[in-house]
Amino acid sequence: MTHIPTRRRRRIFDLARPSRQHILGYILIAPAVIMVALIILWPLMLALDLSLQRVKIPRLGTARKPFTLDNYEWLFQSTEFWMACWITLKLVIVVSICCLVVGMATALLVNQRFRGRRLARLGMALPWAVPEIIAVVIFAWMFDSSFGLFGWVAVKLGIADHMIPWVSSPAAAFWAVAITMVWKGFPFVSIMVLAGLQSIPSDYYAAAKVDGAGALQRFRWITVPLLMPVLGVTMVLTTLWVFRDFSIIKVLTQGGPLRSTQTLSIMTYDQAFQYQNYGRAAAVGIVTLVICIIASVLMLGRRAKSIY
Amino acid sequence: MTRTPLQSLILYAVVILTLGLILFPVYWLLVTALSTTDKLYALPPKFWPVDPHWDIFARVWEAKPILQWLTNSLIAAVGSVALSMLVSVSAGYALSRYSMRGGAAMGMFVLTAKMLPATLLVIPLFSIFAKAGMIGSLWTLVIAHSTLIIPFATWMLKGYFDTIPKELEQAAMVDGCSPLGAMVRVVLPIATPGLAATALYAFVLSWADYAYARTFLVNAPDNWTANLGITTMQGEYVTYWNDISAAAIFVAIPIIVIYLFLERYLVGGLTAGAEK
Repeated sequence: MTHIPTRRRRRIFDLARPSRQHILGYILIAPAVIMVALIILWPLMLALDLSLQRVKIPRLGTARKPFTLDNYEWLFQSTEFWMACWITLKLVIVVSICCLVVGMATALLVNQRFRGRRLARLGMALPWAVPEIIAVVIFAWMFDSSFGLFGWVAVKLGIADHMIPWVSSPAAAFWAVAITMVWKGFPFVSIMVLAGLQSIPSDYYAAAKVDGAGALQRFRWITVPLLMPVLGVTMVLTTLWVFRDFSIIKVLTQGGPLRSTQTLSIMTYDQAFQYQNYGRAAAVGIVTLVICIIASVLMLGRRAKSIY
Repeated sequence: MTRTPLQSLILYAVVILTLGLILFPVYWLLVTALSTTDKLYALPPKFWPVDPHWDIFARVWEAKPILQWLTNSLIAAVGSVALSMLVSVSAGYALSRYSMRGGAAMGMFVLTAKMLPATLLVIPLFSIFAKAGMIGSLWTLVIAHSTLIIPFATWMLKGYFDTIPKELEQAAMVDGCSPLGAMVRVVLPIATPGLAATALYAFVLSWADYAYARTFLVNAPDNWTANLGITTMQGEYVTYWNDISAAAIFVAIPIIVIYLFLERYLVGGLTAGAEK
């Protein structure tokens, strides 16, 4: 006689049952959702709320001040804000384009076959691993106005006739920040592009070669189109990084001189922790966030999904 | 593809020149640290250390509580990575395996979280921590760094779990494993490289933070992290660049060592989402 399997003991909360499995899903995701709600969403709501009150230093638990749009009105009327927008835009464009060019060039270079290629790749992307503050220490000394290397080189090359006061002249300070950021930021582009290059099948190049395409044509018609998705995501991430960066500018120039390197990010921070205007600071921050979201959506379009 | 000797020569020349340019600032940090003050404040600059004073490292180590700064950075990093991984691993797994209502919304949320400026979030966090009496404590960093890590770690891990075939768990479940058991005993061991990559990347993120440390810990010198400590060495009038460079080398070394030996994992995590 064959053995008839006994019915499995029914458990009240049997998560193995297919109809119940999605419950397990919710249970597994719950801690993350709670954490995110507690440490990101709630603070974000608090910030939004702060931006809608006239408040200097907020005390949690005290009564809310009346609703007002004052902070936003102040913001859109202040020249400081528009100047910060302009500087942020300039910095984003300059740094992103330089990162793209240098990153792309270095990636193409170390994608060649040669002895020691692995070592070259490691070296090429090393600045990515150097913490931002350390990068600033290095560049702050190279941009020193009396004994800095960059000033000395500029004089030697005949670009300037005296040492450039990098951190105290508005135009030079902008470039000091931009150069530091490019050095720190291009390896990310390089790493991403290299990964993208390696995923292009070599058959494509072989086929194009058979058809008589030159190196430039192969680059234009195979490499560039196939890299486009990776490049899109990379550029958005680079842009966002420049947009939100705090430590490089804060430590190198403190947003000065004469606010010439004060981006929206720095303005947000200084309004809060230097001038104790938390309401205004929150307003600047919220506007920055909205700009970031709009800019990324515009840049990515339908590919928005690929970023996460 | 074969090259003529001339082409090879040009290629090597270009590679070496580029590498030289890129790595020069790092070399310059070392030269600066090893130069004596009178050599440092002189033009033209010396491009290699003339009679290097190696004792600077011992001197700076003595003069500044660098070990303490590094320990604080380590505590903040390990704390926030542990806390984030705890919730992100299960969330990433759930997002990969179960189709849930709100999954797409979660995705959009992660996207937004990536755009969140730290300088905005630091404002409400400051008032929350002030209310809780936590200002000056390293716990503030554990929590603040988790806001950076959780969104990206969850999504990175979801990506890793997506590459592991579902059939493995189904087989385990047929053999009598519970769904949770299948995750813990079958999927997680296979995903170990992915978990390591995510944790490493998260560690680097936490180590690099300056904004939060500066805001929450500036009045608690005992809890200064390495990055914060370094910036306090920048004097208002005089900065001893050789001292600060030596300290900077101490701070950079852990991350650079991680990078040099575990680059494969770090870069793997970085580019995981890129090839889709």
